[in-house]
Amino acid sequence: MAVEDQAFVTLATTDAYCMGALVVGKSLRRHGTSRRTVVMVSPNVSLEARRPLESVFDEVVQVDVLDSGDRAHLSWLGRPELGVTFTKLHCWTLVRYRKCVFLDADTLVMCNVDELFEREELSAAPDPGWPDCFNSGVFVFRPSFDTHTRLLEHAAQHGSFDGGDQGLLNSFFSDWAVTDIRRHLPFVYNLSANAFYTYLPAFHRYGHGAKIVHFLGGAKPWHSCSNPPANQDSRSQLDQYLSLWWAEHHSQSPPTVRKHSQLTPALTPPGPPHTPPSVTDSLPPEVRDLLPPRTPLPAPTDLTLHVPLPAPQTPDGMETDPPPGGEDGHSGAEASSSTSGATTEDEQPVESQEERKLQRRMWEEGHMDYLGRDAFQNIMKKLDRFLK
Amino acid sequence: MPLARSLSVTSLSGLDDWDEEFDLEDAVLFEIAWEVANKVGGIYTVIQTKARLTCEEWGENYFLVGPYTEANVRTQVELIEPSNPALIRTIDKMNASGCKVYFGRWLIEGSPYVVLIDVGFTAWSLDRWKSELWESCGIGVPWFDREANDAVLFGFLTAWLLGEYVAQCEEPPHVLAHFHEWLSGLGLMLCRQRQLPIATIFTTHATLLGRYLCAGNVDFYNKLAEFNVDKEAGDRQIYHRYCLERAAARCAHVFTTVSQITAIEAEFLLKRKPDFVTPNGLNVKKFSAMHEFQNLHAQSKNRINEFVRGHFYGHLDFNLDKTLFLFIAGRYEFSNKGADVFLEALARLNYLLRVNHSDVTVVAFFIMPARTNNFNVETLKGQAVRKQLGDTAHTVKERFGKKLYESLLVGQLPDMSKMLDKEDFTMMKRAIFATQRQCQPPICTHNMLEDSSDPILTCIRRIGLFNSASDRVKVIFHPEFLSSTSPLLPMDYEEFVRGCHLGVFPSYYEPWGYTPAECTVMGIPSISTNLSGFGCFMEEHIADPSAYGIYILDRRYRGVDESCNQLTTFLYQFCQQSRRQRIIQRNRTERLSDLLDWKYLGRYYISARHMALAKAYPDTYMYEPHDESQPSGFRYPRPASVPPSPAHSLHSSPHHSEAEDNADEDERYDEDLEAEKDRLNIRQPFALPHRLLTHNNSNSQKN
Repeated sequence: MAVEDQAFVTLATTDAYCMGALVVGKSLRRHGTSRRTVVMVSPNVSLEARRPLESVFDEVVQVDVLDSGDRAHLSWLGRPELGVTFTKLHCWTLVRYRKCVFLDADTLVMCNVDELFEREELSAAPDPGWPDCFNSGVFVFRPSFDTHTRLLEHAAQHGSFDGGDQGLLNSFFSDWAVTDIRRHLPFVYNLSANAFYTYLPAFHRYGHGAKIVHFLGGAKPWHSCSNPPANQDSRSQLDQYLSLWWAEHHSQSPPTVRKHSQLTPALTPPGPPHTPPSVTDSLPPEVRDLLPPRTPLPAPTDLTLHVPLPAPQTPDGMETDPPPGGEDGHSGAEASSSTSGATTEDEQPVESQEERKLQRRMWEEGHMDYLGRDAFQNIMKKLDRFLK
Repeated sequence: MPLARSLSVTSLSGLDDWDEEFDLEDAVLFEIAWEVANKVGGIYTVIQTKARLTCEEWGENYFLVGPYTEANVRTQVELIEPSNPALIRTIDKMNASGCKVYFGRWLIEGSPYVVLIDVGFTAWSLDRWKSELWESCGIGVPWFDREANDAVLFGFLTAWLLGEYVAQCEEPPHVLAHFHEWLSGLGLMLCRQRQLPIATIFTTHATLLGRYLCAGNVDFYNKLAEFNVDKEAGDRQIYHRYCLERAAARCAHVFTTVSQITAIEAEFLLKRKPDFVTPNGLNVKKFSAMHEFQNLHAQSKNRINEFVRGHFYGHLDFNLDKTLFLFIAGRYEFSNKGADVFLEALARLNYLLRVNHSDVTVVAFFIMPARTNNFNVETLKGQAVRKQLGDTAHTVKERFGKKLYESLLVGQLPDMSKMLDKEDFTMMKRAIFATQRQCQPPICTHNMLEDSSDPILTCIRRIGLFNSASDRVKVIFHPEFLSSTSPLLPMDYEEFVRGCHLGVFPSYYEPWGYTPAECTVMGIPSISTNLSGFGCFMEEHIADPSAYGIYILDRRYRGVDESCNQLTTFLYQFCQQSRRQRIIQRNRTERLSDLLDWKYLGRYYISARHMALAKAYPDTYMYEPHDESQPSGFRYPRPASVPPSPAHSLHSSPHHSEAEDNADEDERYDEDLEAEKDRLNIRQPFALPHRLLTHNNSNSQKN
């Protein structure tokens, strides 16, 4: 039974965090959530990284603090160091949902946690480092423009005591620690995977009941090696969580997704205007279609972000993507796009720009083409432009 | 007039009085490095020791720029308000735009100003800056390389700081920015890309690729010209770092490195020949008494003796007075640091000493930190046994003395047979029994975590140096840095070095080599190689280095086996020296310390700075390059007509017996004579023959 006005929300601000968001989405699906799933992405996230998200999440929302031109923008100008924080606060503007649960992209859902929606704003679990503060990796909230505005005002006035969203939210919801015990989520809903627990017996007693695991700190699961040590006995708890994370990452999208996404069109079309202005819709189809076959990848299988996708099912009757590398599909896409004459003119610059983007992404994944296009000779030419 | 020892090098040729020749009044020097007030590796030492000299030269206009880390600031930086008005405005502006910039004094010699930037605080800008980097020069940075991402942040922040500073100055300033290593190199590139009016210097202390290639067991120096550098860097997954490094070298007004050997490496791997070699110096501590360092050697040696007595308890069949202590120390890079060659040479030396029935014993220490589970029981027991023997002897002595005293009080000569009673004998016998030992004295003082795969231990097993009684070469592997609080060998590194006879550093890859330099200033002879920066420097400046206790091993033009043989020869020669010859050699070694003092080596930095200023501000500064073809004050090879050089006297002096009195030593080691020899043998580091003039200055002189 799907509940349409409640959603799990996560956030990806970089391509790397998309890997995390993807795992959040997959793990929610696998445990059969009945709520909607939403991922917010910032504009710098590449199209390639968004694509897998689209097949897992119900909604991919682009949030751009800079473009909004409203109070958020002004606040950002005053406190640029809180940029990512403002992006996160954007979740309060998802007012088409009555209630939401925010999950950081570095969390892993271990079982069905739909019961979280029984809680009220702002429910969260204590932070392992300072239990009188809540950890903002998992929290229940009610989207509201009013709350959003007040949060921004608060940020502009007081800043954040830790420079991030957690400090801001804790000072805004400052009565969390003392007023209502029902807003204290049990620790198992936000168990920090890599903390060193000084109360080890408690961890042994309750740790296995973890419902949501949170990979706090600088070392994210996607930084680690995807092949955890073979020896089962010597593995630490963290390694076990890591291997679970990687298992989820490598897993095919569970069949429930397909079922769900098939269900969606039946439920959505006549429904209220909650079809989001997602990035897929705003993108010209020819750009989407051109991208994958054009990639001059040396070894596409190496790409961490290229998770195996099920053939994308597009509910709105859009053309399905051509099979990767299929020349026919490619030309077919071009033919279809050439029907609208105006776009062909713009195609060349768009494409080379996209190619530049892709080239940069290859660098960022450590797959630069150092014997060809990215040879130092070419970098030197760029340098020499500004050296006299 | 007798020469003061500390003037031995200064006296070689008259120094130019360079202070008046240029005007740095309005110039400002920023020196930027990741290791400013932040110890990661060797560059920290370079910057920290050089600071005093640079402060003396630039005074209030010298600022070090580094990353802010709370722990470091708490322990070594005093935060204060800046006094330079443009810098105040710069820092305020940056702090108002979402940065955290701190200003203070670094509490080291010279207490220079530091500007520390909190890199993590501006992580929110990373993506934007990476886009900018990508747009401007086509270098991307992988998200998983944290260090490189820090380098991006640090680079953009330093460029921002410098740009802002230039903008905040009322009159166009003369700014000189000196960047160290690839981690700060991006800042340099951005300064050039933004066309900031700044003179830039890039100093690399080693190349990234060189370190990787050497560790990878390729025949590095012979293949230098053949490497496809892009491919090698790419295959080793350091392409982006290498690009940053090479781009900085490309963009700098002046590019320098720390030694001749690294200059060659840079020329081939970074494709730019360094404009200068700027060797690393030390702050040499001067003792008032001339032979103070010899006394310190004796004191420290006694403490090592004590340790050796304990370590070899039950097997002390060698004469400690004829025992030489050799050591190798440094980061645990088995082949880069030459531990492989050293071990092989030790095995050969052992054979030589045995077949020649030498009475000399060699104890070789390996001080290289590895992963351990603390001290092993056997070594700790050794020290305990030694202490117990000492206590027993002390107790018996007390009782003996008491009886003697009582006997004398009653006016009788003591009956010697009654002085030690049965009880005393029992105690002494028991103590001797405690020194019985079934096993050989241990090689390693700690329990190694990777005992079976450890390269040093594996090699020792192969060559069979097991500290047995017949071995003339004993080996002790101390896989931890020395500390004065250790229960085993309670000495710090400096004390330990002073107590040893010879440092052995047969490195294959060693851009500079502080370890032999430190030995030299403490008057301890050392062996280095012509692949180390230090070895090259000494070879260039001394006519006969081995006479001064600087043995330079040829690892560049010889095979490994030949190098091992040469090292064995050096070691064997060293073993054959008499005690007095060693003392004279130590005196000569110590005389070289002036050569390694920043006071002299700082000049190379000064020249590099002048050249950069002249390149960036050709209207204001002029730089005349030094004519390399006429080195002054150094004749090489040594002319035949001069009095015997130290080298000559070393070989001609007959083998004095140990019994010979030290009193005549001063006759043979004559300070004036030695200074005269130095004049002929040692080339002064740098004669500063160039001129850097400010036009203003010369104009005013004309007027």
